[in-house]
Amino acid sequence: MGLLAIGTPLEWPEAKKVAGHVRSWGIEQLLAIWRNARGKERDALLWGDEVEYLVVAYDDEHRKVRLSLRQADILAALASDEKLLSQGGGVPDVERGPVHENQTTAPVFHPEFGRFMLEATPGKPWGIGFKDLLDVEPNMKWRRKIAKEHMASEEYPITLTTFPRLGSPDCTVPSYEVAGPKLRSHYVPDEIANPHIRFPTLAANIRSRRGRKVEINVPVFKDEKTQWPWKDPTVNYDLHRWPEDDDVRNGAAKANFIYMDAMAFGMGSCCLQITFQAKNIEEGRKMYDQLSPLGPILLALTAATPVYKGFLADTDVRWNQIGNAVDDRTPEELGEKPLKNDRWRLPKSRYASNSTYISQDSRLRPEYLDPNLIVDEDLKKRLVEGGMDDLLATHFAHLFIRDPIVVFAEDLEELDLTKADHFENLQSTNWQHMRFKPPPPGSDTGWRVEFRPMEIQITDFENAAFSIFIVLITRAILSYDLNFYIPITKVSENMETAHIRDAVSTQKFHFRKNPFSSRPVPASQRSTNASGTATPQDETTTNNHASTPSRPGTPLGPVDDEYELMTVNDIINGQPDGGFPGLIPLVENYLNSMNVDVETRCDLARYLDLIRKRADGTLWTAAKWIRHFVQTHDKYAKDSVVGEDITFDLVKAAERITKEEGRDGFGVEMLGRRR
Amino acid sequence: MKLVLSTSNILTGTSSVIRRPTFEKSNTELTSSLRANFTAHQSSPSTPQNGALINGASSAPSTPNTPAKPSFRSWTTQQDSTLYIPTHTPSPLTEPREYYDITVKLFYLPNIPATRRCIETREAIDLVLRELGTTSIDLLIVSFPGISFDADDEDSDIDEPTTPGLDTSTANSDGCGDAEVVPEDIDTMLTTWRTLETLHAEGIVSNLGIAEFGVQRLSKFLPQTKVKPSVDQINVRDCCVVPKPLILYAKQQGIQLLTHNDCTNVLPRGTLREILGSGEKGVGVLASESAGDGLKGDVEPQWVVKYTAVVKDRGVVESKGYFAVAELRD
Repeated sequence: MGLLAIGTPLEWPEAKKVAGHVRSWGIEQLLAIWRNARGKERDALLWGDEVEYLVVAYDDEHRKVRLSLRQADILAALASDEKLLSQGGGVPDVERGPVHENQTTAPVFHPEFGRFMLEATPGKPWGIGFKDLLDVEPNMKWRRKIAKEHMASEEYPITLTTFPRLGSPDCTVPSYEVAGPKLRSHYVPDEIANPHIRFPTLAANIRSRRGRKVEINVPVFKDEKTQWPWKDPTVNYDLHRWPEDDDVRNGAAKANFIYMDAMAFGMGSCCLQITFQAKNIEEGRKMYDQLSPLGPILLALTAATPVYKGFLADTDVRWNQIGNAVDDRTPEELGEKPLKNDRWRLPKSRYASNSTYISQDSRLRPEYLDPNLIVDEDLKKRLVEGGMDDLLATHFAHLFIRDPIVVFAEDLEELDLTKADHFENLQSTNWQHMRFKPPPPGSDTGWRVEFRPMEIQITDFENAAFSIFIVLITRAILSYDLNFYIPITKVSENMETAHIRDAVSTQKFHFRKNPFSSRPVPASQRSTNASGTATPQDETTTNNHASTPSRPGTPLGPVDDEYELMTVNDIINGQPDGGFPGLIPLVENYLNSMNVDVETRCDLARYLDLIRKRADGTLWTAAKWIRHFVQTHDKYAKDSVVGEDITFDLVKAAERITKEEGRDGFGVEMLGRRR
Repeated sequence: MKLVLSTSNILTGTSSVIRRPTFEKSNTELTSSLRANFTAHQSSPSTPQNGALINGASSAPSTPNTPAKPSFRSWTTQQDSTLYIPTHTPSPLTEPREYYDITVKLFYLPNIPATRRCIETREAIDLVLRELGTTSIDLLIVSFPGISFDADDEDSDIDEPTTPGLDTSTANSDGCGDAEVVPEDIDTMLTTWRTLETLHAEGIVSNLGIAEFGVQRLSKFLPQTKVKPSVDQINVRDCCVVPKPLILYAKQQGIQLLTHNDCTNVLPRGTLREILGSGEKGVGVLASESAGDGLKGDVEPQWVVKYTAVVKDRGVVESKGYFAVAELRD
């Protein structure tokens, strides 16, 4: 979650008053970073993965499983483990050991929004050495082992995206009253969130800004005996403690939808995120753009979220639920009321799919951009005056249409251009499916890109497989100069499609037909791009390329002819008729061009095989597997209800699969036959 | 006349390079990137682009006797008795040399006398060094004709002549026809190896490698080398079934077993004739009986070299391509 500054947070009306102040200081800090780091060159590929866990606590005697809220205790135990610290591990926000340059460094752990969550990352970033790639899975297993060792015997770190019964009665240990002053939720107590002042403030200010509680409605899965129309039986219309208790009486809960009312239902989800360091700003911008259209595809392929609040949902992924869980838009911004006090209508939550492309790439056609993009024109003007090019200025001026949610009074006294706190305030509360990350001031880190859409998988084998696949895809993108551009609004459309139950097997996604440049790039031009420092001269050159094609007489065809609807299988494994070559064949081809030793290649083949078979339907997504597990459970009454018994067995099943990875025959539908 | 065929950097702009199925070794990468590069040069700079490039060879003009086919003289260059097909301009690497890992694989072709290899090797290395604008390479792998690794048969590298025609199953399964060629004896390989050792001594090549050697062949070969190969390339199809003895032996000898997916006989004579010919799939460098514009004579592939330059700490392939050299005789 990053940046846990301490101070006095402003409550909402006060925070709103200083929003413009924070934004303009944030823009100045961004410009300072940009001026300093725009010429940063030849950074190595370094990358990192983030794995998030739910900490569950079993009560075997009563066949119950609950979320453990002992995050703070577990982190304290991790931060005081001398052996772990000596190996370089620990908790960076509290205490960690030194990074070991030439040897293994133990993993590090981080707090997360949910007090039942834990995040773990490698102790130092990975490189592109193929040996590094093979270290990922053992490292993930090591992380889970260390986490478990610092938990109580009845606790276990599980990698399900959401706890199936989060928000049901008696779902946490210890147990707390719901409808507290911060969240005012009918389902989860204030204590569900990390007690660090940042988190409750974040939740409370989002609610205040919005003028009501967040509203998460997930379509319920209609089974044989599900009453229809279905009314969420857990909605309490008779509570009168807070003004927000009126929400449900005002129609917040919808027929045929599972209703949830707190940030924890979204930000309590576990994801698998990958961050890459680019060689320079230009390469970072290219990776941001080219990975963007892959986001929805990987979301569908990693689908793992079919249950909410004790009910089977009719969707398979977490994404929109998180979007709704942190949606701070006012009724005016949502378009429910005419604009009066607010500046604009906003089509998306601050947690949503990307809306911009940012690469100075001659292949980026203006038609790919969103003509209705909301941008703060004043801030954009300031960025352009400060020397930033139009595309990048547009991107940040788009992120800065939001208000800062958590503002610390102490930070408003003086503008410190050697820091990034105000910039990060906006940047890190724009949760889009890609994030373009400037170098932190005063550090040696380069320009980075974060790939955020993937759902966490049950086993470390799968999480390693998807992490490595994405790394290899970026290498293929850069080596072959691949072009996945489609109009950005189609990427957003794909993101919605990815939610549909079993989208991986039943849906089609907009995808570019030909990922290759239409003719060989002349050597001279390619070398300019390859080493392209972001100097003003180069920008002019690149812009010239964009406006005047180097070869007149080769007009580009209509944009709509460049892409078509494809299945996930087409996109991953290739179209059978020789159309789109497929991401896996592209990766294989990349590997064939590299010196890879036989054992490494064989191991990589296991990972690629998992992804190949997930895409072609041979193997099931976790969502499909969990759905099947619930629907074939003895206690399931075909009424969409996932009760305590089922949840207990489901979480136990997930733990068993985590440990056995299908070797005992359990979960092979998802994992295949393992060695 | 000597013919020097080149692909230029195949990483940019040719989808024909990416093919399926992925675990099938083949020479499609070489042949289709040659075709694509020829087409690109035929259509530039004056001829407008016809779109054929997008799909490379697969969508090359299918109408026979297309009148638009330009004379090969317009897109090739002759220097003395060497014809460069197409006209070739090197594309040097962009970053300083130490940022790269440069691997070169040299394919000695069947039925070419081994005595020529000393000159051939120098020539191949020279072309690559000039192409990449550098003076040294990190790894040179040589591929001897007729060797094919068979993971199911640990004795497969015994020098028993394979009767041509008998072992057609292998030839058919990998689309390479490698099995039709009889491997040469160890002594011939060692003679070739001396040339490589010299290149190593001169500092032009840092590491040497061989391809498809099993334990038998390695154990005969290694004791007689001054510079040991540091790499043995095995077909990727077999990477998960490499016999344990080979893995152990290689470890013990400090040899890395790397994967590849090339044919050993990467450019058969018939294939080259078809590419250069005046037929429907040819580019009209060679004359046919009916059309008289092209060169006359018998074409014989001599060797093929593949080069790959990878930016080390980023894992990005910046340059990859082939040169193929053939003799044209009356």
